[in-house]
Amino acid sequence: MLKMNNISRIFRSETIQTHALRNFDLNVSAGEFVAVTGPSGSGKSTFLNVAGLLDGFDEGDYSLDGVSVKGLSDDELSRLRNEKIGFIFQNYNLIPDFSIFDNVDMPLRYRGFNSKERKRRIEHALEQVGLASRHNYLPSQLSGGQQQRVAIARALAGEPKILLADEPTGNLDSLMARQVMELLFSLNQQGSTIIMVTHDSDQARAVNRNVQIIDGQITDHSIYAPMSIPIQQPA
Amino acid sequence: MEMLIYYIKLSCRNFARNSLFFTLMITTLAVGVGVLLANLSILKSMASDPIPEKSDRVFNVSLNTWPNKNTLHEQPLPILRYQDAMHLLKSDIPTHSLVHYASSVYARDSESNSLSRFSASVRATTQGFFPLTDAPFAYGTAWQQPNALELVIGDILNQKLFGGGNSVGKNVEIDGKLFLVVGVLKPWKLKPKFYHASNGRAFNLTDDIFAPLEVALDSEWGIGAQQSSTVRISSSSDTRNKNSYYLQAFVQLDNAQQKASFQNYLDSYSQSLKDAGQHPLDINNKLYDVNAWLKKNNVVDDRMLAFGLATVLFLAVCIFNASSLLIARYHGAKFETGLRRAVGASRKDLFYQGVVESLLIGISCALLASVLSWIFLQLSISFFPHLEDIAEIDNELLLLGVVISVSTVFFSALYPLIRSCTTSLSAEIK
Ligand SMILES: Nc1ncnc2c1ncn2[C@@H]1O[C@H](COP(=O)(O)OP(=O)(O)OP(=O)(O)O)[C@@H](O)[C@H]1O
Ligand SMILES: [Mg+2]
Repeated sequence: MLKMNNISRIFRSETIQTHALRNFDLNVSAGEFVAVTGPSGSGKSTFLNVAGLLDGFDEGDYSLDGVSVKGLSDDELSRLRNEKIGFIFQNYNLIPDFSIFDNVDMPLRYRGFNSKERKRRIEHALEQVGLASRHNYLPSQLSGGQQQRVAIARALAGEPKILLADEPTGNLDSLMARQVMELLFSLNQQGSTIIMVTHDSDQARAVNRNVQIIDGQITDHSIYAPMSIPIQQPA
Repeated sequence: MEMLIYYIKLSCRNFARNSLFFTLMITTLAVGVGVLLANLSILKSMASDPIPEKSDRVFNVSLNTWPNKNTLHEQPLPILRYQDAMHLLKSDIPTHSLVHYASSVYARDSESNSLSRFSASVRATTQGFFPLTDAPFAYGTAWQQPNALELVIGDILNQKLFGGGNSVGKNVEIDGKLFLVVGVLKPWKLKPKFYHASNGRAFNLTDDIFAPLEVALDSEWGIGAQQSSTVRISSSSDTRNKNSYYLQAFVQLDNAQQKASFQNYLDSYSQSLKDAGQHPLDINNKLYDVNAWLKKNNVVDDRMLAFGLATVLFLAVCIFNASSLLIARYHGAKFETGLRRAVGASRKDLFYQGVVESLLIGISCALLASVLSWIFLQLSISFFPHLEDIAEIDNELLLLGVVISVSTVFFSALYPLIRSCTTSLSAEIK
């Protein structure tokens, strides 16, 4: 599904060079749920940005769902992003004066679906995250957890091959974080491939594969058996 | 198509979201464009050629036949004595020639039950007036006899007196005398009115009544423009054999040879006056073609030109201002731009969205600018009252206004837009 080979990403400023990723190798197969951990500044977000085609890379090879992304034009990259990738951000990144419906609609617009197809997909995605009845709400009328679920619906609506989440529960209290995590687990169980950056070691341990990044390199790679009870209920 | 509607919808949301910002920007640009348009409309009327088909073949005749040694009159005068004018008309060298003076009368429809009269501007002139100026006839023709009590009337007076239509054969009563209407003109605008470009009259409307010169003099219709005399004049008809200068003359000379022989005709006339001891000054007769004549009369006002330059600079300031406002606006919209890119919008998509948005702004700006330009034009007219009848925003200028507005907005938006579409993505959203 995702294949990175010897990737490096260097940020250059006038005075310093930062190797945000170096000799980075990673293979993720369809249906996996990968948690990425590591200290702050280690390159987790950079990795996710490269994986999500939001950022380029300086060396190495990267192919997504069998397509090598090297040398693709902006149009082609945008198309890949639109069709194969769903992003989930720490800040939800909903447009505040758009209704829930219009927020979820956004990626579908660039896909060129007609309005009937868009409606069907939006309704289905909102159903999957349990917000089917809230079409006309504004983001501010929802709780943080609900907003993140809208963001997940937006990521799901295009039926992507892979979901990329950067600390999706970072802004949520533990109860809402749990709901979001349960949603991600159930999506994974239904077949979604997910890569999630997290600071929460419990969350990391709950998924079937852990990758740890330090200084732009993968230092630890552990595969666990999938757990039946994902996260401990808070006391 | 669906994308276009989406972009329009997004633009409308943006306008609603930043209504103060957009109002400010559109107003600033519209003020700039509006001032420019108002100014251009005035300059355009001032600088236009009233009779382009033959402006290089129609000439004002200026003579210096002043009978005493007054150095003030060494330069040729644009006003002629009756006797000079008659001598000009006698020549068969010009294709057409005319002399005229301006007057005004009160006129009424002789059949009307109402006794109310309409003030009417009069051009007392000769038959040659019509073919020389290409005055457009709607009905009838010019008078055929120089002493006929006949008139040609303009469209506006025809509307006022007779409610329009073919009024040939009707009678106009002036001072108790009846005049037969033999011709009616179509609506006729001359910008500027070259046949009377002096005395600040270049932007007056064309006249209401065109009457035979001899009839006007016999009827004692007053001389309503510049008149210089060496003796006291008791009435209009009294000018025929006095040194009273008030008639303007124009001739149509179709080629250089015709022009040379007519110049010669004028100069030998002066010589004959000299020989008779009536021409103490040097001979100095001039033929000015229409554009030279307008230039000589300073029809394009230097103040308007200076003001025009200022309005262009003002518009430039408005553009820079809008551009910097837009940079700030796109900076503020970075989050949404980044998000749209993340969910699959290409640079092209965002660029088109920006173009649609700036077109919409441009169109609103054009609408506001046309309203403002009308207001500014009324304002300018209050400063330059003699422009009242000619300054108007025509379709050509309105179109220009739309083009200026849209391109102004587009070019103001272009740099900010390109910048916002090409900044790298990953830094925008967390
Ligand atoms: N646009 C950029 N320009 C320059 N340096 C950058 C840029 N983005 C990231 N970096 C640098 O690259 C390194 C990796 O940053 P990254 O954001 O990937 O870390 P992270 O693991 O996500 O950290 P955190 O846990 O705090 O989110 C850091 O040293 C950072 O300063
Ligand atoms: Mg990060």
